Amino acid sequence: MSAARLLKSWEGLLLLMLAVVVGLSIEHSPVYLGVGNIVNLFQLEIEKIIVALTMTLIIINGEIDLSVASVMGLSACVIAWLFHHGVPMPLAMLAALAAGGVAGLINGFWVAYVGLPSLAVTLAGLIGYRGIARVLVEDRSFGGYPDWFNAIGQRAQFGPLTVSIVVFLVLYAVIAVVLHRSGFGRLIYVMGNSLQAARYSGVRVRPVKLSLFVTSGVVAALAGLLYAARLGSVRGDMAQGFELDIITMVLLGGVSIFGGSGNLAGVGLSILVILNLRNGMGLADITGNTQTSVIGALLILSVLAPNMVQTIRDKWKGRQT
Amino acid sequence: MRTHILAGAAAAALALAPLAAFAVDGGKAESMVLLPKFIGIAVFDQAHKGAEEAAAELKNPTKLQFLGPTPENSVAGQIEIVTNATTQGANAIMISNNAGDQLVPAVKAAHDKGIKIVTWDSPIPTAEGEDVFVAQVDFKETGKVMADMALDILGANGGEFAVLSASPDAANQNSWIAAMKDALKDPKYAKLKLDDIVYGNDQSEKSYSQANALVDKYPNMKLIMAPTTVGIAAAAKAMQDAKLCDKVKVSGLGLPAEMVSYTMNGCAPEFALWSFVDLGYLAYYTAYALATGQLKAEAGAKFKAGRMGEYTIEKDPTRSNGLRILMGPFSKYDKSNVEAAAK
Repeated sequence: MSAARLLKSWEGLLLLMLAVVVGLSIEHSPVYLGVGNIVNLFQLEIEKIIVALTMTLIIINGEIDLSVASVMGLSACVIAWLFHHGVPMPLAMLAALAAGGVAGLINGFWVAYVGLPSLAVTLAGLIGYRGIARVLVEDRSFGGYPDWFNAIGQRAQFGPLTVSIVVFLVLYAVIAVVLHRSGFGRLIYVMGNSLQAARYSGVRVRPVKLSLFVTSGVVAALAGLLYAARLGSVRGDMAQGFELDIITMVLLGGVSIFGGSGNLAGVGLSILVILNLRNGMGLADITGNTQTSVIGALLILSVLAPNMVQTIRDKWKGRQT
Repeated sequence: MRTHILAGAAAAALALAPLAAFAVDGGKAESMVLLPKFIGIAVFDQAHKGAEEAAAELKNPTKLQFLGPTPENSVAGQIEIVTNATTQGANAIMISNNAGDQLVPAVKAAHDKGIKIVTWDSPIPTAEGEDVFVAQVDFKETGKVMADMALDILGANGGEFAVLSASPDAANQNSWIAAMKDALKDPKYAKLKLDDIVYGNDQSEKSYSQANALVDKYPNMKLIMAPTTVGIAAAAKAMQDAKLCDKVKVSGLGLPAEMVSYTMNGCAPEFALWSFVDLGYLAYYTAYALATGQLKAEAGAKFKAGRMGEYTIEKDPTRSNGLRILMGPFSKYDKSNVEAAAK
């Protein structure tokens, strides 16, 4: 991409935003650039940004998965429930990942094989999986996990990095290769652009969709596991409402909600913008409602701006012909 | 001049008897953070007012930071604020914990960096990473006060009642409810029947609908006991709106200013509370004394907290590894005194 095109592109705009946010943060806080703060900046939202990666695949494919936060909660609660019923921790963790896989399988089955809209299916999942999570732990909180489990979410084990951050980096690399360098990635885009066209060209669309939802479920469960390890204690409302933050990260990254376009570089930049913005404001002692409104305003602008530009361009072209 | 004399007296007192009470010496800059469960709740604003009063008295040149999360983001928000305060190198964080033990990793990281952690209003259940808890009242006594008010309102013939609490993981509410259940074992309360405990998460709308749901679920229920200022006001409003105040009364822990109309019209004939201004004031004095090294967080240590007088750190009888400072006392409000207190 040439420099001029980069400037005009969405990624260019995100880079600019990132530069502004980082610049303001450095100016406002002397501790911002410390290694500890950079690690914290990722750690505080790490589970969301992990799930944002698989959400990117789903949205480019022209679908949505609203159930991810509930699957995160379900995964954490499965671990809590099994562990407190005497199941060894490694088995409980596997069961949690399996639960995420099953949740994804159910979502994927209804979407890919029955043909129901993913919005409706995963909305049902959002309610249903959260319901199961709440039934498992009721109104209590479960802690007291082995130290090695808590360490997964809390301790720096790879230089200054935690296991969670390494998981994110590895997953980012894997998904970048799959999405942008593999035939499977091409299929995800083609189906997102036009499912009909993909079908007529002989693409077996169902297994592709099913595998995406299963991946989304397993990764959400992994994120839930990491969240439980980071907090060291589990309760039924864990990760509640995270799906909206996750989806906004993807949309701010320039991924079209209608599918077919967007890339992982944009999502990576969008994640950096949001994380740095939150952290910068936190260090400037801006919290609570102000923080929410600033990020909200940014997102409204970023989602509206490209559409408005497009509309104006189209009208302009219409007048010319 | 006065502070010099006091400082001299404190130094002398320390030299003579290490465990005698000393007046906290001010003037030194300490970066202090006051972290409520969430922002936009009247009682936390009152605690903030008390803490500001103490900050002014102690002449701390560094401005007090009052930072809190939004209610829908309380756990993640509290963790974020504690983590950022640690990065910034705050000297003391005063926390009303709404995250149960989920806050422990963040608080431990802060404590390991030498930051003093004082909890107030709601402690860390395991006391891990916490220096001392400034307890508003004795948690056992709170349970007894709740049982007594229930008996007062329901009368000698008793009846069914339910508890509308804050969030399921709020350590303070949970121990009060446990203490109330204990108190109810006394034969005196034999005719009181506890139907259910529900949670309104300290959100007005949720508490309001939970109160209505209780009425539907338990037609014989005569009282809703809400040990949270948000819950009690929401429940009283729900009963008033449903015109049920003759049948179902509301009681618990409430702010006079928020409850005065419900007490006067009979929806909430009796409730109790302590002063949140004093709680914020005492929390600040405690945290400042710890941060400046004048006070050690160990059982038996005594100090004087400005206008509130002398306090002692003791083992917390409700948490096996915790230390606490007990503030007290309770004030009960009814038609006779609520109007004066609401002003």
